[in-house]
Amino acid sequence: MSEKLMVKGTEAIAEAAIRAGCRNYFGYPITPQSELAEYMSRRLPQVGGIFLQAESEVAAVNMVYGAASTGKRVMTSTSSPGFSLMQEGISYIAAAQLPCVFVNVVRGGPGLGDIQPAQSDYFQATKGGGHGDYKLIVLAPSTLQEAVDLTYLAFDLADEYRNPVLILADGMIGQMMEPVEFPELRDLSTLPKHEWALTGCKGREPNKVTSFNIDPYKLEEMNKECQKKYQKIMEGERRSENYMIEDAEYLLVAHGTMARITKTVIREARSKGIKVGLFRPITLWPYPYEELSKLSENVRFILTVEMSVGQMVEDVKLAVNGKTDVFFYGRTAGVIPTPNEILERFEQLIRMVKV
Amino acid sequence: MNFTPSDLKNSRIFIFLGPFGSGKTELAINFALWRREFKEEVSIADLDIISPYFRVRDHMDYLLENGIEVIAPVRELMYADLPIVPPNVVGYIANKNYELIMDIGGENDGAAVLGALKNYLDEFEYTSFMVLNTRRPFYRDIKSILDLIERLASTARIRIDYLVNNTNIGRETTLDLIKEGERLLEKVSHESGVPIAFSVVPDFLDVGTFEDFKNKLFTIKRFFPNDQEV
Repeated sequence: MSEKLMVKGTEAIAEAAIRAGCRNYFGYPITPQSELAEYMSRRLPQVGGIFLQAESEVAAVNMVYGAASTGKRVMTSTSSPGFSLMQEGISYIAAAQLPCVFVNVVRGGPGLGDIQPAQSDYFQATKGGGHGDYKLIVLAPSTLQEAVDLTYLAFDLADEYRNPVLILADGMIGQMMEPVEFPELRDLSTLPKHEWALTGCKGREPNKVTSFNIDPYKLEEMNKECQKKYQKIMEGERRSENYMIEDAEYLLVAHGTMARITKTVIREARSKGIKVGLFRPITLWPYPYEELSKLSENVRFILTVEMSVGQMVEDVKLAVNGKTDVFFYGRTAGVIPTPNEILERFEQLIRMVKV
Repeated sequence: MNFTPSDLKNSRIFIFLGPFGSGKTELAINFALWRREFKEEVSIADLDIISPYFRVRDHMDYLLENGIEVIAPVRELMYADLPIVPPNVVGYIANKNYELIMDIGGENDGAAVLGALKNYLDEFEYTSFMVLNTRRPFYRDIKSILDLIERLASTARIRIDYLVNNTNIGRETTLDLIKEGERLLEKVSHESGVPIAFSVVPDFLDVGTFEDFKNKLFTIKRFFPNDQEV
């Protein structure tokens, strides 16, 4: 670890990717994450890497597809409308089982939306925004240090499972500044060697990277192979944080920026004698269903808070499976719920549920 | 000791520029509030055409309540992803009744706004401050900062009068960290001939007797989210 630097979220993610051994970046600028591309354009040449600004997000994702086929660490970053444009390529990459890292710094939507922070790309991120039965590993940082750590982890997970990984950050995480420590630069010779990679087949049988098979039975086998992998990821890679849950009678559930804000709500509520805790999923896929399910047995109700009209709340309900009531509070279009308005809604629900 | 009004040159226009995320906006807002203690007519211009969040315009109501005029894109366009330079800034540059604090966007792209205002600025006395945080990426050594000074001065087409040491890591800032920034910027100042105006100290730190500080100090209140709050 080095000394602490003051960085923006976008810079934190970019530098962490370089430290993790990423030397290839293809992208197209879009607010509120253009600084990530800008940082890469400045920093990658210093470490012998490639920065390429594509003509669009559609081009960028296919450049990532190509680079990932060679087994080299590669990434792109974008924001909501740009991530929509990338969906076709992401589906292909997932089907071809290629490791790479995506970053979506989410802004208000739908459509063009605005440049303020939002969490309304949750469904797209976790349920497959592109076509077919595929999954991305989705990591949701709530501090900039965590953004550094999860970005570093993302490349390892991508390589380990031969699967694309998505860092889902809202605009606030992308734009705010915090002190962080970066890990040392990864020695590139220690990165995993990929037997399957397209590296030139002189002296060996050619490798093949493909997303399809024309024979439905063989394509089904490819699907089964992916599903087996997803099962393994679901079993081994769920991550979450519990905050003040030991004696909690109520539970808040939130991720990313909303988790930070709900921590403030929890401290306020506790100062009034209300015993409440937070469950924060860190992996949005695989969703920590089992962990949340266990917690839900001991609380009077759950309040999910999001910067959307209610997307993650569906996974919360799946986890809870009727064991307790699940309520929702959210704002949209880039408006961030304040601690006061969440607390007000929470106290209103306490009164309502008592009656 | 503290930076005082007598340390200011005889000018009524104060320009804050520098690299990305060096704390220009936060300092400019604090500087405007400080000037308002001495003068009725104080204005602040949001000339940041770079940043999507954390701009002067995001604190418009607070500034207005504190008797400071805010020159910013019209409210209807305040969240637009457009590089708008509010045209009325020219009037405030020329209006001798007003003090004007100018908050400029980061790097060359941000500083280009000043180049466009050169003809107006040349007619009046101004003081420019290059704000630096030596714990930011890219500007952590003497050479990079010297290059930056030259680069921004040429893009902005203005003199750089002072350096400001705003070395910080948010809430984790310590007095030692500020002094670390002082030491580096002393060397930059020596090489470039540009003096250091002051070191910035957040209001949660107790500076005691000031003894260890080489530079004057300017205390600020934090305006932007950090750590727990957002």
